[in-house]
Amino acid sequence: MAANINWRTINIDALDPESAYNFDLTTLTPAVQPVSSSEVQTLSGQVRQLLRGGNAEGALRGALENAPYGADEQGKAMHLSVVTEVLGQIRQAEMTPLLQRMYQAEGGSELCDTLMKYLYKGMGQGTPTSNSTPKNLTPQATGFSQVGGRHFGGGEGGGQAMSVFLSWHEKLVEMVGPGSIVRVMSDRRTV
Amino acid sequence: MSQSLRPYLSCVRSTLTAALSLSNFASQAAERHNVPEIEAASSPELLLNPLTVSRNQEERVFVEPSVNSVRVSIRIKQADEIEHILVHKFTRFLTQRAEAFFILRRKAVPGYDISFLITNFHTEEMLKHKLVDFIIQFMEEVDKEISEMKLFLNARARFVAESFLTPFD
Repeated sequence: MAANINWRTINIDALDPESAYNFDLTTLTPAVQPVSSSEVQTLSGQVRQLLRGGNAEGALRGALENAPYGADEQGKAMHLSVVTEVLGQIRQAEMTPLLQRMYQAEGGSELCDTLMKYLYKGMGQGTPTSNSTPKNLTPQATGFSQVGGRHFGGGEGGGQAMSVFLSWHEKLVEMVGPGSIVRVMSDRRTV
Repeated sequence: MSQSLRPYLSCVRSTLTAALSLSNFASQAAERHNVPEIEAASSPELLLNPLTVSRNQEERVFVEPSVNSVRVSIRIKQADEIEHILVHKFTRFLTQRAEAFFILRRKAVPGYDISFLITNFHTEEMLKHKLVDFIIQFMEEVDKEISEMKLFLNARARFVAESFLTPFD
């Protein structure tokens, strides 16, 4: 067994409990209480009800105030889809006054940071598809091509949702500045 | 500039401006070394949350910040196979001359077409807003360049085909 292990490639830092490689990230994360999927579901039901009642601002506020930091991936994805739905319902002209009201209210800057997190998360959706099926490429006789395969067509998909995120992002940055983006990068509580 | 390109580029601009706040940070793993932490990934607390800015599924920018370096990867729009080949040739030409561009990474991150690696030494000796401008300008130019090349290629192919087929007329 020892013969087929290439010892030059062993990361010895990973084996040393004292090394920086094994730094415990949980010491940097503020305590979040775990949220179950059913709780997220109840919350999304409430938010959707507010949205149907025409209270888009209340829906957005409710969704951002109760962001499920402690939920699992599935719960987070569920909440993201609710937030996306709410954001899509609000018209372009209403964005700035709505954000202004939200920002000036009590604890508004935290809400804006949470919104910024959701905007980036929404834009990052469906990212790592990494050229898995090179089907468009004719196999060459040489058997060697550096040009990797890629799906064509249907590439414009999701352009509509992205433009919603982009216009929200623009309005939000205009108001709260780049500090909010820095907080998204450095906050260990991810949405 | 098209209507949906402007918010995309302004979003990339603000994201990069926020991400490019770097400081000098020596390696924690090896003494007297100073490496870009985003590449070395030697300690998890130095890496920040990566951000994605996307215009649609095919066009996006991936920003991976860390304490002393930022990796910016761009996925260039490719509508068909010709554009795919052109983009590949173009980025290959650039990455082979990476040392002339200072911040260009020699190899793109998987899933993206071209990557930049900006360290604190770059931000110390170059102006930060000019660096951001450079990347934005690159993104504007590259789309134009590719579609221009494609038009030129098609025109040339048509001309070649015509003159090849004239004797059989």
